Amino acid sequence: MNCGDVQIALTPYLDGELDIDRGREVRGHLRSCAACRQVAREESLLRDGLRALPTLDPPGDLWRGIARQLANAELADATGPRWRRVVARWQRSLRGLTVATAAVAIAIAIVAAVGIWRASHRGLQAARPELAAAPAATAPEVAIAPVVATPEGAPCSSLGPRDLAFDLKTEPTCVTEAYAAAATSLLDAALEQRALWSDEHQSEFNAKLDQLRRDIDLASEGRPRQRAYRALIRYLQRVTSRDEVELAGVRGAP
Amino acid sequence: MSALGRSATVAIGLVASLRFPASADPKTAVDERSRVEIQPSGAAFTQVSLDNPLGDIRVEGYDGTAILVEAHKYAPDPLTIDRLRVSLIPGADGRVRIATTAVDGREFRPVARSQVRIDLLIRAPRNARIEASTAGGRLQVENMDAGGELDSSSGSIAIKNVSGELITHSVSGPTSLRQVFGSVDAATLWSDVDLDSIGGHKLVASATMGKIAGRRVRSQEIELTTTNGAIMLEAEAAVHGQLVVSSLRGNIDVKVRRYGPVMVRARAAKLNLGVPAADVERQSGWSRALVGAGADPATLIELQSRYGTVQFAVVE
Repeated sequence: MNCGDVQIALTPYLDGELDIDRGREVRGHLRSCAACRQVAREESLLRDGLRALPTLDPPGDLWRGIARQLANAELADATGPRWRRVVARWQRSLRGLTVATAAVAIAIAIVAAVGIWRASHRGLQAARPELAAAPAATAPEVAIAPVVATPEGAPCSSLGPRDLAFDLKTEPTCVTEAYAAAATSLLDAALEQRALWSDEHQSEFNAKLDQLRRDIDLASEGRPRQRAYRALIRYLQRVTSRDEVELAGVRGAP
Repeated sequence: MSALGRSATVAIGLVASLRFPASADPKTAVDERSRVEIQPSGAAFTQVSLDNPLGDIRVEGYDGTAILVEAHKYAPDPLTIDRLRVSLIPGADGRVRIATTAVDGREFRPVARSQVRIDLLIRAPRNARIEASTAGGRLQVENMDAGGELDSSSGSIAIKNVSGELITHSVSGPTSLRQVFGSVDAATLWSDVDLDSIGGHKLVASATMGKIAGRRVRSQEIELTTTNGAIMLEAEAAVHGQLVVSSLRGNIDVKVRRYGPVMVRARAAKLNLGVPAADVERQSGWSRALVGAGADPATLIELQSRYGTVQFAVVE
């Protein structure tokens, strides 16, 4: 199953309409493909948002009015001339066509809006130069990363309805994503300050950063990778909050 | 208890297993309690590893030799409660691993994770090292003597009366360490670290979006770092000790009880070293002051907040 297949199957998957085998295939792909996972998450968020819209209670006499209109129409059908029945049928079918057209137009608008948002989001991510240094005129903001652990302990819980066994299997990846997001945020803060550093400090920073990133790449999925991310985060916390540590010996974990 | 590991090194006795149709928790319909005692057949237990992504872990040290495991499961129906498993995997070298999981299979109807729960209460020999991890559940460790490593995603970590080297990390769960007599490394991303009565040789704590508060800290080497949160510390200046407190945006407030001279070096957007301005030497953006008499400084203190304030005081 490739990304194209998964994105076609995503809507029925999120609706719980896929059979068990197909659902497992989609889940398996989502576990290994970050891009599709992101798409699934966005779609799930959109659904959550739609679901969160308030429900409108119809007025109590709504159905009575509809029943009265239906009865009147049936009476007219039974008693009126034939040409009027033909015209009424045409009117009804045209009305149905209008509703269907409106529904299609709304669906197209939603899909287009999501597509535009995704494209702009990707564009922003691509436009961010990874190692661009900018002088820090003001305190760099360290934003809370988008992937945040929930009280249930499932950081990417927005993936829609899932079974707990699936949650447990995907959890290490979700926690790793949270660490990765924090590291990215801190890296941005560090890069904003890099212009203030000496050349020696900058080259030391670059070398250390390369080494820590290599460690992350080499670490296996789950706890080892989280540990590698924590080492990067600890280093970035230090370099963003200090110019230098003059006192020797206070470095590293016990 | 199910999926018990087979090993000759321990003897496992099922003390009780009771299932109740209704639970105290209104969200769940069925709960089940079970108790297991693990006796060492040879050498004493040296390490207990616990992995419970489905609920809380509470570890209490005691003077016995056996490990007592009490599991409390909650689920919406009896079929789902049977999916929840607690595994005991004894090792040959005095290590025991206890893990919880949910059995996967097509025959089970999907159940949301929020509908089930397993809480573990462990009574372990004091001398066993503890390695424990939870996801959203609380992680509590008390009265242990061999330290350990504790990991949580969004659940809180609470440690009380623990000796030995201790490492904790959490993503968004608050960390509280009280009466820890050993080196500490506590790291969190988006929550606070609360330290009270820390007496080990080294204390390293860090938070990205949270504050660090420390009272009655007596470590020889202290390093506290935050990115956005404040740092408040009341510590004793250890002889020949070092104290490094730094933050990018947070305010720093350090009070030190001294027993000898203290050399403090600080840098911040706004600075108060608590000594007369004439006693402060300024160089390359840093302010230095020597508090107390003596040729060699007994304690070295470095404080810096790039965009916050630094407040320092010596309590005689």
